[in-house]
This record gives sequence, C-alpha cells and structure tokens, in this order.
Amino acid sequence: MLGISLVALFLLLMVIGVPIAFVIAIIAFVGITVAPHVPVVTVVMKMFNGLNSFVLLAVPLFILAANLMNSGKISKKLIDFSIAIVGPVKGGLAHANVLVSMIFAGISGASQADTAGIGKVLIPSMIETGYDKETAVGVTAASSTIGVIIPPSIPMIIYAGLTSTSISSLFLAGMVPGILSGLGMMAVIYYLSLKRDYPQYERASLQKLLSLTKDALPALMTPVIIIGGVITGWYTATEAAAIASLYTFVIGMFYYKTITLKDIPDIFVDTLTLSSLSLFALAAASALGELLGYYQVSTIVEQFFTNHINSAGLFMVIVILFFLFIGTFMDAIPAMILFVPVILPVAMKLGISPVLLGMVTIITLAIGLVTPPYGLCLLIAAKIGNMSVERSFSAVILFIGVVVAVLLFIAFLPHIAFYIPLKFDPYLLF
Amino acid sequence: MIKKFANLIESIQLKLGVFFLALFFAVIVLQMFVRYIGVSVIWTEEVANYSFIWAVFMGASVMLHRNGHFRFSLLFEKLTGKSKLFLKLTINLILVLFSLAVFYFGIIATLNFWNYTWYSLPNFKMGYMFISLPVMGFSMLIYELDHLLDDYSELKEGK
Amino acid sequence: SANVLAVEKLELVAAHNQTSKESPYQVGMLKFKEACEDLSDGAITVQVHAGTLGTSESELVEKLKLGAADVVIVSPGFMSKTGIKQIQLFAFPYLFNDYNHWGKVVDGVVGSKIANIVNEKSHNDFKVLGYWSAGVRHYYGKKPLHNMADLEGMKIRTQTSGVVADFWSSIGAVPTSVAWGELYQALQQGVVDGAENAYPFFVQESHHKTRNGKFTTETGHDYTTRFMLINGSKFDSLSAEQQEIIEKAAKISIDAEREEVRNQETQYKQVLLDEGGKVNEIDRQPFIEAAMPIQDKAAAQYGVEDLLQMIRDLR
Ligand code: NA
Ligand code: NA
Repeated sequence: MLGISLVALFLLLMVIGVPIAFVIAIIAFVGITVAPHVPVVTVVMKMFNGLNSFVLLAVPLFILAANLMNSGKISKKLIDFSIAIVGPVKGGLAHANVLVSMIFAGISGASQADTAGIGKVLIPSMIETGYDKETAVGVTAASSTIGVIIPPSIPMIIYAGLTSTSISSLFLAGMVPGILSGLGMMAVIYYLSLKRDYPQYERASLQKLLSLTKDALPALMTPVIIIGGVITGWYTATEAAAIASLYTFVIGMFYYKTITLKDIPDIFVDTLTLSSLSLFALAAASALGELLGYYQVSTIVEQFFTNHINSAGLFMVIVILFFLFIGTFMDAIPAMILFVPVILPVAMKLGISPVLLGMVTIITLAIGLVTPPYGLCLLIAAKIGNMSVERSFSAVILFIGVVVAVLLFIAFLPHIAFYIPLKFDPYLLF
Repeated sequence: MIKKFANLIESIQLKLGVFFLALFFAVIVLQMFVRYIGVSVIWTEEVANYSFIWAVFMGASVMLHRNGHFRFSLLFEKLTGKSKLFLKLTINLILVLFSLAVFYFGIIATLNFWNYTWYSLPNFKMGYMFISLPVMGFSMLIYELDHLLDDYSELKEGK
Repeated sequence: SANVLAVEKLELVAAHNQTSKESPYQVGMLKFKEACEDLSDGAITVQVHAGTLGTSESELVEKLKLGAADVVIVSPGFMSKTGIKQIQLFAFPYLFNDYNHWGKVVDGVVGSKIANIVNEKSHNDFKVLGYWSAGVRHYYGKKPLHNMADLEGMKIRTQTSGVVADFWSSIGAVPTSVAWGELYQALQQGVVDGAENAYPFFVQESHHKTRNGKFTTETGHDYTTRFMLINGSKFDSLSAEQQEIIEKAAKISIDAEREEVRNQETQYKQVLLDEGGKVNEIDRQPFIEAAMPIQDKAAAQYGVEDLLQMIRDLR
C-alpha cells in the first residue's frame, strides 16, 4: 500500500515537471519519514555516502576528456579520418558517423558528448549532401549509444562499484557488443543507402589518406592508452579517466594547437555543471535505494523469482523489459543505483554472472538514451537537426533493432558472444 | 535584494565547485605520479573523494538556479497563462520545502558527525565534509526563493 | 520461563556488510535473531540486513549512532574513524598466537577493558555486545614463502596505511592498494604479487586459481576481531528482561559465528587444495619478532601499552 502511494506520488511529481533527480530525493524523504524506526537524517547522510566512492570520480573526468576532445576540434580530425576510411562506401557519411562514434566511444565514457560534438558537425553535412533529416538525426543518436557499450563506460564503472565486479572484466566484455552494434548499424545503413541512393565519397589518394591518418593518430592512440591500461591493470578506471583528460589536453594544446589556456575555465565549468546533474541524481537514488533496503525489497524479489520463475532465461527477458521501460524516463545511473542491488541476488542464484548481468543492464539502459520521452541522445540530436522527437524516433527504430539483436545474442548465447574475452578472463561467465 | 544575493552566491558557488573539481583532478594525477616513482601517499584517495562530493553538491545547486536539471516539460509546454504560472509556483514551492529539509537535516548530520575523523589523516575532521550538505540546502533555498519571487512578479504583471 | 510474559515487544534492526547469504556474519546474525525470538517467546523480533543497509562499515557505524540500525558488526580499522583510536590494538599483526589465545583475550579482561573504552569514548553511542571473528589471515601469492627474505620487494595487496602497512613494509614487502573487486584481475595479470586474507574470503573469489594467487603460506599474521555493537542509549532504554535476553542472544550468536568461521576455514582450505592450490607452513617466529617493535611503537602511539602487555602475558 505504502509502495503504491509512493509510486503514484513519484509519477505525479514527475509529470508536473519537478526535476527528476529531485523527485527521487523527495520520495526518499517521504518514504523514510513514514518508515518506522528510521530517522529522516539518514536521507542526507546517504546522499553524501552514495557519492563517497573513488570509482565515481571517473564520471566528471571522462566528461572532461570528451569536452576537451570537442572543444579542441579533435573530434573533427577523427571525423575527417573516418570519412577517408569508409567514405567511398555507399552512404559513406553515415558510415563515418558510426565509425567515429565507435572511436569516440573508446575515449569517452558517456554518450551525450558524442551526440553533441559529432552531431553538430555531421547532421548538417549529412542533410546538405542529400540524406533526409530523419536518417541524419537517427544515425547520429543511435550510434552514440555505442559510447557506453565500448569501454571506457561510466555505467560500467558505476555497475562495478555497486556489485564489486571487476571493471577490467566489464571493459573486456563490452568490446564485443559495442563492435557488433557498430557493424550492425553499418549493415543497416548500407541497405538503406542502396535503396535510397545515398551518396558516397571518391576514394582518397594514398597520400591524402596518410596525411589524414597522421593527423588523427595522436587522437586514435587515446583508446589504446585508456582501455589497454585498465585491462592490463596499469591504472584504475578513475586514473584512466584522468589520463584521458590529461592526454587530450596535451595533444589539443601542443600537437593540434586548438586549445589554449584561456579555454580551460569554461571547459571546467561545463564539466562541473554537466556531471553534477547525473551525480546529484545518483546521490538522490542512493537515498531512495536505502528505503528499498529497509523494506528488504531485494529479498522479496529474490523469493518471488525462486518460488515462481525459476528460469534464468525468463529472468533475463524480464530484466530487459523492465530496464527498457525504466530507461524511457530515467537516466542509466539512477536506474542502476536503484535496481541493480535488487536484481543482483536473483541473478547470482540463477547462475548468471555479474559481468553478464552488467552487460545486459548497461546495453538495455543505453537503448533508453534514444527512446522518448526522456532519451537524452535523441533529444540532443533532434534539437541539432531541428525536428520533432516523434519523427526522429521513427528514424532511430531500425538501429534500436540492431542493438536489441546484439543484446539478445549476448544474453542468450554468452559463451559464443564472449568467446574471445573468455580467453583472457575464464571466469567472465563463472 | 534576493536576486542580487542569489546571483552572488551562485558565482561564489560555481568558483568553489570548479576549484574542487580541479583539486581532485590534480590529486589523482599526483597519485599516479607518486606511485610511478615508487612512493605511497596515503591521503590522496580521501582528499579526492571529499573534493569530489563538494564539487558535485556545489554544481548541483548552481544548476538548480539555472533550471538545468532534467525534467519532463510536456505538461508545462502544453499549458499557457495563469495555469502555467500556477504550475511553476507549485513546483518551486515543492523545491523550497525540499531545500529546507536538506538544510535542516544537513545541520543535524554535521552536528552528529563533526568529530569523526578521516581514515588516512586522523587529525582531519569529517565535519568539514558533512557541512557541504547544509551549504547545498541553504543555497538551494535562496535560489528557489529567487525563483518564487520571479513567479510572484509575473503573477502581479499578469493582473 | 515464568517471566516470558513480562517481556515487552521490541523490534531490532541488525546489519552487517557481507552480501553473501553464506557468510559467517549472516549465520551469526540469523542465530542472534533466532535466539532473541526464542528467548522472548516472539516479543523481541530482529530484522537482519545482509549488506542491504550498506556494504561500507563506516556507514553502518553512522547508522548505529543515528539509531537507523540497532546492532551492527564492524572491524577495528573503520571503528577508529569514530575517533576511538585505541581499538586499533586488535588489528596489530601477530598480536595473537592462535584462536585459543585470541579467545582468552577478547572474552577476558582485555576484551572488557576495550569494551569500556568504546562505550566511554563514544559517549554511550556504542556498547560492545561481544567479539566476532573474520578468520585468520594468511599470505597467498605467486610463490610459496619459506623464509622472510622471500617477501623482499613483493607487491602485496593489503592496507596501505597504519600499523598493518608498517608491518608489511618492515619485512620487505611493498603494500599496494587494490580494490577487492579488482583483486582477481590484479593477481591474474601480475599487477600485484600476492595478497593476504582468510580462506573463506579469497577462495570464494577464486583467487587461488590466478597466476599470482596459487601458493598459500600459513603466516597466520592476523586472528581477526570484529565488534558486535548495539546503540548504547537504546540498550539503556530497554527493560532489564529485554537487556538480559539481548545479551544472552549475543552470546549464542558469538559462539555460532566463531564456529562457522572455523568450519568454513577448513572447508575452503580443502576446496583450494582440491582445485590445485598449494599450501605450506612456515616458522612464524621471525615474523613475530619483526612485529614486536612495530606493536610497541603503535601501542605507545595509541596509549595502549598496558593492554598490549596483558595480551602478551596471556600467551
Ligand atoms: Na566508451
Ligand atoms: Na555518431
């Protein structure tokens, strides 16, 4: 009864337009006030303690790295490079859009910066060269979801912190669905290009190709440095984020000479304001998660699943559907803080490894980035392309199909999907 | 009056937030460097963590003043005139109550744990960290009062 | 008994930080719950939280102070954050010879003296109900230890500050910080050369199957102590019957938890051996001698010289 009233209040506050992070915190306040024995001061204590974790420091640092990439025009170099590589294929610019997102994903841990930075350049030029608006917006939004699937990834870091799963194992595993999603999207683009006769670029001369590669090389090294360092254990994910920022800063300032010291304060202000939005939501979700803890919701859920649905496959389907639903109105970070502790014990009992559960959760919530009404990447891309969210959604749906197919593949055939990562980490799936 | 004060607080708070962001970035870089040269500095993790918390709370407050937190605007955009203003007023009143709660319970938390210490530096008090909570609550309260004042003057103009 | 009807209703929230339902903590807490409910004929009920109120011990301590939890389990290291530095004593390396010695200390005069210190210094926020164990910690790493010199220059995952770090540095190792969740990979990839923990904990994480975790040497450097705490003012507010039942139930839970730890140690050592891990013993005397000056120095720093002497006298 209390639960239903709280959910109703949650929806009411959300619909009237109270900011979502504050809705979460207010529900925590109301819930704890009603709960017997629990002093209300625990709400603010938990907001503080929810942030008190070293892995979370990676969030602003990866956002800083992405901001530096964008303001240093380094993303432009990556775009030019990608066009040179896949441009000659039919629908070249759209392929380049996906490829550059895959490269960007290896540097950035979030997706929004990718949509904004790359979208600003590629959406107008795609429209100019004859793509319809929907495709320009759709490809940009959909491909930027790869940002959180290919490591580094902020959701993976948060998941690791919540479940004590190894970040390097998650990073290792994430490459598979990330690369598969990118390739799948390119296949869809190729099919559309043939049907709609999208343009292609002339093959660049070897000389041109070499010069573009030389130009992009320092930026292309970034993913190698970050992912390599974390997987081999040279540094932690948080440190990798700091290295990424430092490295992009150095190449932007001294190699490309596109960043000056004068740009730094603004970049820091942008980083602070943008990252504090998700992190405040995280703090609020920690407080609400505590309420779920007091009512031992995880135990109730675990009992329900063991008594009624004793099947790993069915559990996976329910998890996917649930996070698809949650992802339509909530950010990945608070959604994981609230619900991962609830579903983890069930997964363990059903023999699903924390890494696999993490992959499924993160990819499903990444889809939420492009589903209305609260799909951040879709909103950003639609704004750049100056079109309604409803119309852009119809463009993105085909690409969502690709991600869903990849998701089902790794969820139900994990031993095939993770064949290569398992060679490096035999306990990835237990 | 309130508007001036709110703007002053916002500019101080933003600088403070950026300072803490830069601080924890520097501390993490330092931590990697000292490990590379084979020395261990034990306090880096705690300094980084606590600067991070300060930075987030300051940034989140500033974004409340700037109406930057994500929200559903569907209903809001559908409404016009009086009813839109009424909705805005309701939201801001709810946020005033929330800010008051964070301020009040933030003080209680700070008083309760003022004398707890850091793990790596037992001479450092936890009070300096927990006080970020009432600071956040107080600034949010000022910002929301500023928003309410805007709503009020809009209401008067409308009449 | 006759006074059962006199017990008033009471609901307690008990919490520890281990999420595994098989952990010795959970076994102990469930025993506490069962005993409270049995002895009070159902009047005292206990809600047990296995990590659901937080997996960080400092959070549990904060909750205990605020009254958001009534009974919690914490280790000496985190308790010292509350400003009670004397309890670091129980974290000194090679403080105890064996379980027998440990039991004589924590269940004897030293244990009650520490309990008094905790109660006074916390202004009655915390009252010690008794002492639990998290097992005995051993070295495990890429090679077996045959003497102390084998440790020279080895990167060992352990605490990187305080008396524990001082000890490992003094015997030639390099204390290195790695998060628990990252340790499997760190051992597998050679980021660290070894670690130290009790059998149930590292065998459950398959550390013995990693490249740098195969060899366990039974250094036995830490017979661990965990505090079973109740909120002091809450306890004082209870009736004499309720207090008596809680104390009795705590005693029962202590016995159950300690027994479970020891059973699991035997059980998981066997698992390790069955799965190809190697175990050797080592003469602990040189290690104990190396630990002595470090114990002395830390005891002076924390003002617990007399207690340290009492512990040594009980050997
Ligand atoms: Na990424
Ligand atoms: Na893209």
